[in-house]
Amino acid sequence: MNIHRALAITRRIFRGLRHDRRTVALMFLAPIVAMCVFGLAFSGDVEDVNVVVVNLDNATVPVSQIIISNLDKEVLKVTFAPDVDEGVRRVKEGDAYAVIIFPERFTESLLMKRSDPSYEGDTTIQVREDRSNVNVANAITKSVTDAILLTAKQAGQDLPMKVDAEDAIYGKGAKFMDFFVPGIMAFVVFMLTTLLTLISFVGERTAGNLERLQSTPLRESELVVGYAIAFSIIGMLQTVVLLVIGVAAFDIMIVGNIVLAFAVIALLAIVSLSLGILLSSLAKREAQAIQFFPLIVLPTFLLAGIFWPVEAIPQWLRPLSYLIPPSYAVDATRSVMLRGWGIGEIWVDILALCGFAAAFLTVAILSLKRGRR
Amino acid sequence: MQTFAVEMKGLTKKFGSFTALDRLSLGIEMGTVHGLLGPNGAGKTTAIKILCGLLRASGGEGFVLGKRVPDRSILQEIGYMPQETALYLDLTAHGNLTLYGELFGLSKSRIAEREKDLLDFVALQKWKDSLVSNLSGGMKHRLSLACSMIHEPRLLFLDEPTVGVDPELRASFWEYFDLLKRKGVTIVLTTHYMDEAQHCDRIALLRQGQLLAEGTPVDVVKSAGATNLEEAFLALANRGEARP
Repeated sequence: MNIHRALAITRRIFRGLRHDRRTVALMFLAPIVAMCVFGLAFSGDVEDVNVVVVNLDNATVPVSQIIISNLDKEVLKVTFAPDVDEGVRRVKEGDAYAVIIFPERFTESLLMKRSDPSYEGDTTIQVREDRSNVNVANAITKSVTDAILLTAKQAGQDLPMKVDAEDAIYGKGAKFMDFFVPGIMAFVVFMLTTLLTLISFVGERTAGNLERLQSTPLRESELVVGYAIAFSIIGMLQTVVLLVIGVAAFDIMIVGNIVLAFAVIALLAIVSLSLGILLSSLAKREAQAIQFFPLIVLPTFLLAGIFWPVEAIPQWLRPLSYLIPPSYAVDATRSVMLRGWGIGEIWVDILALCGFAAAFLTVAILSLKRGRR
Repeated sequence: MQTFAVEMKGLTKKFGSFTALDRLSLGIEMGTVHGLLGPNGAGKTTAIKILCGLLRASGGEGFVLGKRVPDRSILQEIGYMPQETALYLDLTAHGNLTLYGELFGLSKSRIAEREKDLLDFVALQKWKDSLVSNLSGGMKHRLSLACSMIHEPRLLFLDEPTVGVDPELRASFWEYFDLLKRKGVTIVLTTHYMDEAQHCDRIALLRQGQLLAEGTPVDVVKSAGATNLEEAFLALANRGEARP
């Protein structure tokens, strides 16, 4: 291994980038756009959902009215309908996601039941939802339940027990973005590094550059190390950009040692570029290489724990998550940034990434040597 | 005392059931310009790739500068110009030359000296800082030749070095090859142009992986009973066809 030759390759990549503004833009704008778009769209909060309230309660001081006023106005946009048929019609026509029905004599029945639990009057608030969108429907149910609890509390009818989740051990006050940024960091670095090395190595092979390189004293291992140095630097720069924007625009939480997070991302970049080189040996042209793209992106997107935890993936699919390198990087960066964990806690992730890196690098180098058959 | 810069002994290369090179035996003397001639698929490029260590022979042996190929130790002393452009389009002419200079371990100042000489030779001095993607086909070809010579190799393998080069520049290429030869450099090149082959000290005519004839251009023409190389090639190829 001659490090000077490896560094010559590294320098050539950066020299090339100086003249390739489009690729540089892809490298740095794509992560930013991805973070902002996903971050804002997937913020986890359902807002401005149209619901119809049918209030048949005819009391002079109706409790139903208090419950309605306690509905979270950020989540629900409330309109009223005179009767159940009209309310149901609006849901059926897609104008609203649910009709919330307060039965006749709701307040009266409620008051009677307080003194006589065996009283038979109807105190059920019926929420008839359009459950074709489960997220929205769940948000409506939760909102109504919360409003009831709040109303009961205001009336001094607090439940004698309660749950307090305020004093968190890790991630106190964490928002969706805090959870999301470490994930998108790993995803972006994995995706772009794999894609860019894949395309650039297919280019090396088809344009005859690889052959010319192989006719010089450069070894395959030096070529790969040269790429590894360049792309881990690029990966870390992408991470810096994402973190700066994450902190500036989304005020994300970083409790741990950020240098450790960088190291994890650099390691992931090395895994990714070896994967890119490997895949390049399977493609004869750049157009073929592009076909691998969904193969890389989709499983990662769905299974690596970027948007939802691995625990939310069906049990039988979980082993697949453990076969996807970014899963470990997502877990490690998240643990470092949100839990403040150190190397002592994330060593399993690091070990797994090192294992992937060693295996992929070896196979990548072999795949390059195989061309000499 | 080694006399051959390159020696092939029964060199064979098969790709599956296709035989690209069929027991080729040939010696190329130090300090000569040797042309490998033949139509497409004759095995010229395959032979060169085996000698440069880019392909493994299926049979026979190849020796380059006294070492049995593949041997990494010869790589520092040979220069290879592939048939494809094999340049980084996202780099300038300077960037490409620098990369290869660095890979051969040349110092910065040495790279600068060599770059100046070579760019003068291939008449690309004023395109030094142009991106390769903006150069014409012929310019790329010339730059490719320059890249393969950055480290002053003792032995040059040039795969079709004059394709797409205009006649004037082609003439200057041959002058330069003569100059290199006088410095003791051995040049092995492939070409389609039969007229160009006259410039070679010796030529080898290849067809379907086999050697049809070898010798000085004059000898080859004479032995085929022809008046020029083109005729000689056709005559020899027909004779080969008639063989059982």
